Amino acid sequence: MAEVHVIGQILGATGFSESSLFCKWGVHTGAAWKLLSGVREGQTQVDTPQVGDMAYWSHPIDLHFATKGLQGWPRLHLQVWSQDSFGRCQLAGYGFCHVPSSPGTHQLDCPTWRPLGSWREQLARAFVGGGPQLLHGDAIYSGADRYRLHTAAGGTVHLELGLLLRHFDRYGVEC
Amino acid sequence: MNPKEEKMKIITEEFIENDEDADVGRQKKTSKVQRQKRKKQLLTAGPQEMVSEKAHLGSRQEPGQQDLDTDTRLLSMPTRRGPRSLPPIPSASRTGFAEFSMRERMREKLQAARSKAESALLQEVPTPRPRRLRSPSEKEVETEFGTEPSREIQRTQQEDDSQSYSRVKFRDSVRKSKSKPPVPPGFPSAEEAYNFFTFNFDPEPEESEEKTKAKNRDGAHQEEEEGEEEEPRVQEGVNKTDEEELDGKDAMDFLLGLDRGAEDTVAVRPADYESVHVRLQMEKELLFIPSRRTVPMYKKLPENAQPRFLEDEGLYIGARPEVPCTNQNIMENRLLTQDPGRGWFGDDGRILALPNPIKPFPSRPPVLTQEQDIKTELETLYKKAVKYVYSSQHMIGYGDPPGSFQLDIDISGLIFTHHPCFSREHVLAAKLAQLYDQYLARRQRNKAKFLTDKLHALRNAVQMSLNPAKTPKSLNTTRKAINEYKSEIRQTRKLRDTEQEKDRTLLKTIIKVWKEMKSLREFQRFTNTPLKLVLRKEKVDQKADEEAYEAEIQAEISELLEEHREEYDQRMDGYRSAHQQWKAWKKAQRAKKKRKKQAVEEHSNEEMEEPYPGEDPVKPVPPEPTDRAVIERQVRERAAQSRRRPGEPMLVPELSLAGSVTPNDQCPRVEVSRREDVKRRSVYLKVLFNDKEVSRTDSRPLGADFRVHFGQIFNLQIFNWPESLTLQVYETVGHSGTTLLAEVFLPVPETTIVTGRAPLEEIEFSSNQHVTLDHEGVGSGVPFSFEADGSNQLILMTSGKVSNSVSWATGENGIPLIPPLSQQNIGFRSALKRADAISSIGTSGLTDMKKLAKWAAESKLDPNDPNNAPLMQLILVATSGESYVPDFFRLEQLQQEFNFVSDEELNRSRRFRLLCLRSQEVPEFRNYKQIPVYDREIMEKVFQDYEKRLQDRNVIETKDHIDTHRATVAKYLQQVRESVINRFLIAKHHFLLADLIVEEEVPNISILGLRLFKLAEQKRPLRPRRKGRKKVTAQNLSDGDIKLLVNIIRAYDIPVRKPTASKFQQPSRSSRNFSEKHAASPTTHSPTHSADYPLGQVLVRPFVEVSFQRTICHTTTAEGPNPSWNEELELPFRAPNGDYSTTSLQSVKDDVFINIFDEVLYDVLEDDRERGSGIHTRIERHWLGCVKIPFSTIYFQAKIDGTFKIDIPPVLLGYSKERSVIVERGFDSVRSLSEGSYITLFITMEPQLVPGESVREKFDSQEDEKLLQATEKFQAECALKFPNRQCLTTVIDLSGKTVFITRYLKPLNPPQELLSAYPNNPQATAELVARYVSLIPFLPDTVSFAGLCDLWSTSDQFLDLLAGDEEEHAVLLCNYFLSLGKKAWLVMGNAIPEGPTAYVLTREQSHYLIWNPCSGHFYGQFDTFCPLKSVGCLIGPDNIWFNIQRYDSPLRINFDVTKPKLWKSFFSRSLPYPGLSSVQPEELVYQRTDKTAAAELQDRIEKILKEKIMDWRPRHLTRWNRYCTSTLRHFLPLLERSQGEDVEDNHRAELLKQLGDYRFSGFPLHMPYSELKPLIEAVYSTGVHNIDVPNVEFALAVYIHPYPKNVLSVWIYVASLIRNR
Repeated sequence: MAEVHVIGQILGATGFSESSLFCKWGVHTGAAWKLLSGVREGQTQVDTPQVGDMAYWSHPIDLHFATKGLQGWPRLHLQVWSQDSFGRCQLAGYGFCHVPSSPGTHQLDCPTWRPLGSWREQLARAFVGGGPQLLHGDAIYSGADRYRLHTAAGGTVHLELGLLLRHFDRYGVEC
Repeated sequence: MNPKEEKMKIITEEFIENDEDADVGRQKKTSKVQRQKRKKQLLTAGPQEMVSEKAHLGSRQEPGQQDLDTDTRLLSMPTRRGPRSLPPIPSASRTGFAEFSMRERMREKLQAARSKAESALLQEVPTPRPRRLRSPSEKEVETEFGTEPSREIQRTQQEDDSQSYSRVKFRDSVRKSKSKPPVPPGFPSAEEAYNFFTFNFDPEPEESEEKTKAKNRDGAHQEEEEGEEEEPRVQEGVNKTDEEELDGKDAMDFLLGLDRGAEDTVAVRPADYESVHVRLQMEKELLFIPSRRTVPMYKKLPENAQPRFLEDEGLYIGARPEVPCTNQNIMENRLLTQDPGRGWFGDDGRILALPNPIKPFPSRPPVLTQEQDIKTELETLYKKAVKYVYSSQHMIGYGDPPGSFQLDIDISGLIFTHHPCFSREHVLAAKLAQLYDQYLARRQRNKAKFLTDKLHALRNAVQMSLNPAKTPKSLNTTRKAINEYKSEIRQTRKLRDTEQEKDRTLLKTIIKVWKEMKSLREFQRFTNTPLKLVLRKEKVDQKADEEAYEAEIQAEISELLEEHREEYDQRMDGYRSAHQQWKAWKKAQRAKKKRKKQAVEEHSNEEMEEPYPGEDPVKPVPPEPTDRAVIERQVRERAAQSRRRPGEPMLVPELSLAGSVTPNDQCPRVEVSRREDVKRRSVYLKVLFNDKEVSRTDSRPLGADFRVHFGQIFNLQIFNWPESLTLQVYETVGHSGTTLLAEVFLPVPETTIVTGRAPLEEIEFSSNQHVTLDHEGVGSGVPFSFEADGSNQLILMTSGKVSNSVSWATGENGIPLIPPLSQQNIGFRSALKRADAISSIGTSGLTDMKKLAKWAAESKLDPNDPNNAPLMQLILVATSGESYVPDFFRLEQLQQEFNFVSDEELNRSRRFRLLCLRSQEVPEFRNYKQIPVYDREIMEKVFQDYEKRLQDRNVIETKDHIDTHRATVAKYLQQVRESVINRFLIAKHHFLLADLIVEEEVPNISILGLRLFKLAEQKRPLRPRRKGRKKVTAQNLSDGDIKLLVNIIRAYDIPVRKPTASKFQQPSRSSRNFSEKHAASPTTHSPTHSADYPLGQVLVRPFVEVSFQRTICHTTTAEGPNPSWNEELELPFRAPNGDYSTTSLQSVKDDVFINIFDEVLYDVLEDDRERGSGIHTRIERHWLGCVKIPFSTIYFQAKIDGTFKIDIPPVLLGYSKERSVIVERGFDSVRSLSEGSYITLFITMEPQLVPGESVREKFDSQEDEKLLQATEKFQAECALKFPNRQCLTTVIDLSGKTVFITRYLKPLNPPQELLSAYPNNPQATAELVARYVSLIPFLPDTVSFAGLCDLWSTSDQFLDLLAGDEEEHAVLLCNYFLSLGKKAWLVMGNAIPEGPTAYVLTREQSHYLIWNPCSGHFYGQFDTFCPLKSVGCLIGPDNIWFNIQRYDSPLRINFDVTKPKLWKSFFSRSLPYPGLSSVQPEELVYQRTDKTAAAELQDRIEKILKEKIMDWRPRHLTRWNRYCTSTLRHFLPLLERSQGEDVEDNHRAELLKQLGDYRFSGFPLHMPYSELKPLIEAVYSTGVHNIDVPNVEFALAVYIHPYPKNVLSVWIYVASLIRNR
């Protein structure tokens, strides 16, 4: 019966080699969680930074969960995409972070990565764009034998999340 | 440690230091030879030392040097490292932990020894020590003492411990270094090594050493140790000094240059040698070498314990790490000698070991093989950079599907099991074939045989177990088993009997059908089917058969007898006990009676019957024993029925197609025509995927055997998970249209079924179409019979089987092209937990327990491995099939244990529920502003409405909708609406850039130029200028923000009062004919102003009242029939539920009522005497008429401006349409006068709202692509020329598909009833038809479909729904007119107040008429009061014409569509009309409306209205005048018949006659019936109930006239009566 209210925004991203970024995001929760209101997933606009190298999205996130357990605390999945001058989109990074579990405002930095692929693919990516993408997005957060995957670091996505918790103390959870 | 000792040590240290220096300095060269020699010596001595250090230590003299040496090394080492003043650092860095602990122990012992030695020293102090101190060269010692006294103190204070430490440690390290003969590099330096090697070894002390050792062994250990510690030190000192002395002398000699002979200093001794044997001996004593032999079990286990093997006991034991056997043995042996040796062994006698922690495969990723064995979850796919295509879902978490998937649908053929063209013979043949199939299937299973065998086996088993000799088991179990067997025998026998009977009856039926067929063939003298049944007889051995039969019967009888006997015994037991009871009771009774008798004798007068306690037990009847004969008879009967008689040959039917079919020329004509018909027919199948047609088969002719072979494979490239796969069977007859026979639903294949492995399946279908044929074909859904007399009728439906197979295709590399699971709604997938099982057997195997179990067995899954526990349990449970099988697979196993609350509790929370509903935008809660924080603050009743609505979804509620039909319609409408809303939900969230970003256009040069030009313009402050109002989007609005502004300007031709007493009869208008209307002749009006109105007295004092959402505003009262108010009224607007969103506003159903009243003043003075002093009047208002404008119209039009016809009731008692001479001026005569009164209005909303836009969405269409392109082109062209004119080419039908508009127009028959009303008068018929159409209730699409789009329903849908907007009305009316033979078109244009709308245009002989389909009125083309204000396009059944004339007002345009200059047609020579088929039905079927239901409804409405009126008058008594009511009731049907015309005067006369002494005001209201609410609203808006004259009486009558198809015309007559005094 406890409630979690996540209010915040995806501020933007830094450190990506590409400009013109946008971000697809989604929140996954365990089975014990119930979304009372809000949108679980979304996509930001494309931002091309004019000054500095941070792409600002300021995309609002407003979710209200009810939960009957602590398992499956909400987590955020992010996919950063970049749009090139032809309007084509390619993957710039996968990211994943847990929604903080203590109330208050939190500044989160979510580093991202992208699959590297074979040298052919790298070459193709450098010249004609595109790039390898995960077939199964689960690998972003599941602990599968990820060491087999060769990745390159992407930039960092910055989030600012405010947490409101309610009634957790009722069930012996101190926060 | 005492200071003396310490001092001494320091001194020696110093000495060594010096000596060393000296050595280094002087003796480097000379002593080389010596050194080497000594080294050799040392080498030989090394092992010895290693073996027994103790021995060395124990020796008195000889090891002294060594010890000295060690000591010197120890002491010199630290000094060399740091400056001298520093304390020696304990070389802890080099000592391990083990050493440290050892050291600790040593130190303790040392301490103890010291204390002892101290006490000993205290006694003998003076003797040795001073001597020792003096013995070195004194000078140096002196200097040392003198120079550094302070340091000494320091040391004594601080480092007594560390001193001893380092010593001990040193020894350790020495020991260590010795044990490892090659000295670790860097440990001892060259000098140290030299020192180490330069001591003398005496070979002699070996023996003494031995001796002492032995002595030590014998002696007390403790003391020996202590001594050991103490002694060397003492010796150290001594030896050191000796050597120092010696060295010092050497040095002196050297310095002095005295050349002494070598013999002085060097003694030649034999090399030290210890024999191998001795050494081994010594080693043996010291070392322990564990044996390699296996350790016997008893040693490893505790006493008297048997080894336990846990694995055998069923416990899980992981795989042990692999260790060679010898190593293991060595280890075991070693452990056994250790102290707590057995603790290392487990119960099974092996060393305790954890499961092997080593992974079988290396975890370092092989760099090059990365591509080969990458896991599926980590697969990546190179994607090209593509332009972003908008998709409604942005899935994150799952990658996009990698591409297309393929589904192969193989349609091999179609077989009809019934078809309308079946002849009777075919019917029988089909039946026969079916039965034969059944027979074959049964024979294959041969259940009867199986059961018989089982029976035999069981009997044998019983026999066996009855024989005690062969069954050694206990008697008890045997009996139990026998009982079980017996019951099973009983069961089996029963089953076998039924099976046999079934077999037999099946055979019989087959034969019967075949016989019927044969007789039919004979009867009709031709054969249609090649079917032939041959019965093969199989001879059986008569005798054996008979015997078997008899034996079987006997066995059965005996079993039955036994059963009966058992039963009898049981019953007998029961009887006995019952009898016993009964007897006892009897006895008691007797005793009681006896007592009673005595009592009776005593009190004879108190004779009474004592009631028996309870009821009498009946005397039990003993059961009858069963008779063998009876049973035998029964058994034999049954056998005869169900079994083959003995000796009877076995019949084996065989069906073949060997027969010949009679050729056509020998068949009768009907049969030939049937065959012809069959030949003309062809069948094809459409393949529908997710309800979309994807492909279709070729059209194949129907064979004579009603089989169609297709043999086509369709490869469907799909993107989504298939939800449904449907085949539609279409039949084409000749060249006419195709009909949909049936739909076949194919199951979506499992993910394991891939092409090549899928079996052909036969899926049955059937259709419910009714077909009657005029030839031999029996038809479908039509009764027919085989009998001549037509009895025994059969109704067969078209049915058949499609043989097909559906499977997933495999890609080039053998990977099935199956969409990933993520697309299925399986939910969260944990790739890891199930990876192994899934990858090997596929996901569907998880549900198939057998497969899973097989897999588990094959892979040798350890059932005891805790990792496999849930799986094994699942398999166990599933395969055993007995215990509880959970039908779920729990993903998060521990979830439940950690839950805060249960699911129910979570769902019970009202707050959460409210929040969820609000976020789901459920209409009731969409605009719930703030939700309380606590559950207790939320009332349960909040959900009541919602829950009720959910419940009612399927229940048809007749409370709100008085008749059931409308209730169902309302439900249907609701469902359609919901589906439409769902369909457009996505489209609603589809934004364009302009929706989100408001960007002002950058001014270009032309605009700037204009601006500049304006600056120079002359200023004209008085000239009014129009300013655009700011539009407000429907956000951030709340109650009270929006106002409805109604500007009432003026009215024309308001009815005027008529004195009640007037018997004046107006000239009858019945002569008015049709031509008059369009001719607009004003001749009918004779200025008949009566004498009752003196000149100057007002004829009428009208005022206007506007009511909206029960808010009422009214104007001031004006005077005269043509009043001018020019007043603005302001009404607040409230959106339903406070929801001001566009969709909500669009669906506001409220109407604005503009009522015109007459204000009448009555003198209420009771007393004439007061007339002089006061005026007492009462104001009464009489309703004259109303205009009703739906809010949605205002909302979409933004403003409504125009002159409207006032809806005046046909009879307005007390009023007449009087043309007063006063107002009759020149203008009026110019104005074309038509009937009715008019009012000029201007209505708008403040602030102006932006109406929602229609959905921008492309819809599916079944239209030709070319046609669709042409429509787009046409529309674009039209819009370019006349952007304001409506041009409609395609519309959306109820199922959401785009349909070309002309398909809606087609002649459709109006109800026969209407046609027969005026057989000779086509005009009257047309009017009647228009009236009929107008009686169908009006419901705008924006209301019914939440403003999403304009949906067009076909006429039959419209008539079924009984609701629709202008288009539906217009289409229906147009279709009726077309069927009446008129030339009719649909007019799309603008009208007031509706806005864009549809009218109907008809062409009479010489002129055009415009019909308003919603009101049923018609207007001439040149009628100024025609509400149609502009014409955009005309639509006929085969073409569309767009108006390209300069004007669009119907008054000014030419309707001749043949002129291409005036009308641009869609289909022209370049694009000829392709002959589009209509979407309308062939004909409309009308049901007569139930008159009694209508009457019932009429009564109910009347009752409800009366109640309502009484409710509205809470403070007054409402009296009903029954007499008047009945009069009115009689009058209403009359009104209906005459359509509300020309009856007023008769009626008035009649009323006067009957109710002469009442002042009467009232009027009939007429409207189509849709719901009750509008009726109530209408009555309310007339304000009849507002009269509060004390003695007022009311009359209310309702009449419903039923038209076909449940169209009801409702008349409500409301009147108020006031008795005249």
